[in-house]
Amino acid sequence: MNKENIVEIQNLQKSFDHGKITALNGINLEIKKGEFVSIIGPSGSGKSTLLNMIGALDKADTGSIVVSGNDLIQKKDLSEFRSREIGFIFQLHNLIPNLSVLENVEIPMYEKKMSSSQMRKRALELLEYVGLSDKLKRKPTELSGGERQRVAIARALANEPSIILADEPTGSLDSKTGAMILNRLKDLHEKENVTLIMVTHDMDVASLADRTIKVLDGKIQN
Amino acid sequence: MSFFSLIIKNPFRNKTRSALAIVGIAIGIATIVALGIITDGLKASTEETLKAGGADFSIAESNVSDLFFSKIDEEYIARIKEVDGVNDVVGILMAIQRVEDNPYFVLIGIDPAKLSISNIKVTEGQAFAAGDAKEVIIGKVASEKLNKTVGDTITLNREEYEITGIFQTGDLQQDGGAFLSLENVQAIENKNDTVTMLYVKIDNNADVEEVTAKIEEEYGNDLTTIASLEDLASIDQGLQTIDTASWAISLLAIVIGGIGVINTMIMSVYERTREIGVLKAVGWKDRRILSMILGESIVLTLVAGLVGAIMGILGIQVLLALGMDSFIAPVYSADVFIRAFAVALTVGLLGGFYPAYRASRLPPTEALRYE
Repeated sequence: MNKENIVEIQNLQKSFDHGKITALNGINLEIKKGEFVSIIGPSGSGKSTLLNMIGALDKADTGSIVVSGNDLIQKKDLSEFRSREIGFIFQLHNLIPNLSVLENVEIPMYEKKMSSSQMRKRALELLEYVGLSDKLKRKPTELSGGERQRVAIARALANEPSIILADEPTGSLDSKTGAMILNRLKDLHEKENVTLIMVTHDMDVASLADRTIKVLDGKIQN
Repeated sequence: MSFFSLIIKNPFRNKTRSALAIVGIAIGIATIVALGIITDGLKASTEETLKAGGADFSIAESNVSDLFFSKIDEEYIARIKEVDGVNDVVGILMAIQRVEDNPYFVLIGIDPAKLSISNIKVTEGQAFAAGDAKEVIIGKVASEKLNKTVGDTITLNREEYEITGIFQTGDLQQDGGAFLSLENVQAIENKNDTVTMLYVKIDNNADVEEVTAKIEEEYGNDLTTIASLEDLASIDQGLQTIDTASWAISLLAIVIGGIGVINTMIMSVYERTREIGVLKAVGWKDRRILSMILGESIVLTLVAGLVGAIMGILGIQVLLALGMDSFIAPVYSADVFIRAFAVALTVGLLGGFYPAYRASRLPPTEALRYE
């Protein structure tokens, strides 16, 4: 494996429904450490499936996928890998409704050996970074869409992941708020040198990335 | 926020559903607690009757289903007295008569000279005379209920008896009844030369086990000795029945409560499918998700245990206030509450496991896709 590559995928295949639906049909992809890559394609093209494979939310049928030096086909404890390496940002913020902003950001840290006060300290830093220090005690329903997505970014950063995976992060926001979230992500990538992989179907959003990968019918288009 | 605080917080997200589940389980727990308090009271009271203060053990007819049906020929009094180590023997005959509006007024016939072997304390007036004089002493509770005192009369089996004294034993059943001469009770019951039980007092240097063993050996066919509540439980099917019923109700509470908890937790997991997907995505292990849901289920049932215990105690107070205080002498032992919480915990574990297991096994991508 090339040292500079954080993601190496070879001939990755994945089908659903007992082989009736082919989601990924031989994907070959390399992503360098610190790169900002956007994955673009129409709905049903397999782009989200690809993102889920990189984030170890799902297992491939055949092929090979190595992320941060972990062979995800062979690896048994994928939750440990996700906890250590991956930060997810979803289209819908997916915050836990009965927990405060602060508590939502602490959620990923339970799998780390951290005390409650260490968790709190880390969450406070992250919320300051996303500019929500004044809304710590608010519930997700008391926030605007953009604010919720900023909480989700803080949550994704909680365990200092090497890769941030964002699935349509601006998909449910208006264009102005969306632009703000994208700036935040780009800033994160530039200042912290985090690898950022973003799925979108919006060409304008995709163009912010260093490189754009087009997926169609489960294959990467050159 | 600690993981523990998170577990405590979660069950109260859907307040109505959790409250309903808690009430459902709490009713079962309340039944266990109330029944336990009554049963313990009954046992304490029975033990009191057996020990009868000055006696070391009692003797009843062998092979009777309930102590009350025990019948012993009076001649055994003399025979038992002959046994080595026996100091004194007194025969008592128990009967139940309707007195005014109490259909379960307990009469105990005993030789007044032997009252000391029973743990009776005559607090007012004096003991009744021996023989067929129509005299009686009544318990403190009976005196209050009947509003009668020394010098008044009481009708037993259509005959007037004069109250010569008021006594107190501390046992509700006895304090709610009366003591009178053995001859009088035998006449009322038409049971000449018969007693219900024998109270035995042994010599100071004798050993209860040795003496009871000798009696069992010699008269084991007709008589059985009762030196403890355990001895009694082995012959008295009434106590056995109550114990069995109490366990059956506990079991029923576990089954019904368990189904309620399974239902509540499955609904909760179902509604939070997407959230569970997120927890998996941020790196939570299956085991942590399992502990969270199981923990929530236990929190729910322990709260139900607390509510149920309070309901049980209140229920007993209501029964007492409604005039059941002549039948129920509540005993609040730690045992009853430990059992109630053990049942609550069992319900939480059994009812929570399946939903927790299901949640922990959800595939993350499917959970995240769930709308």
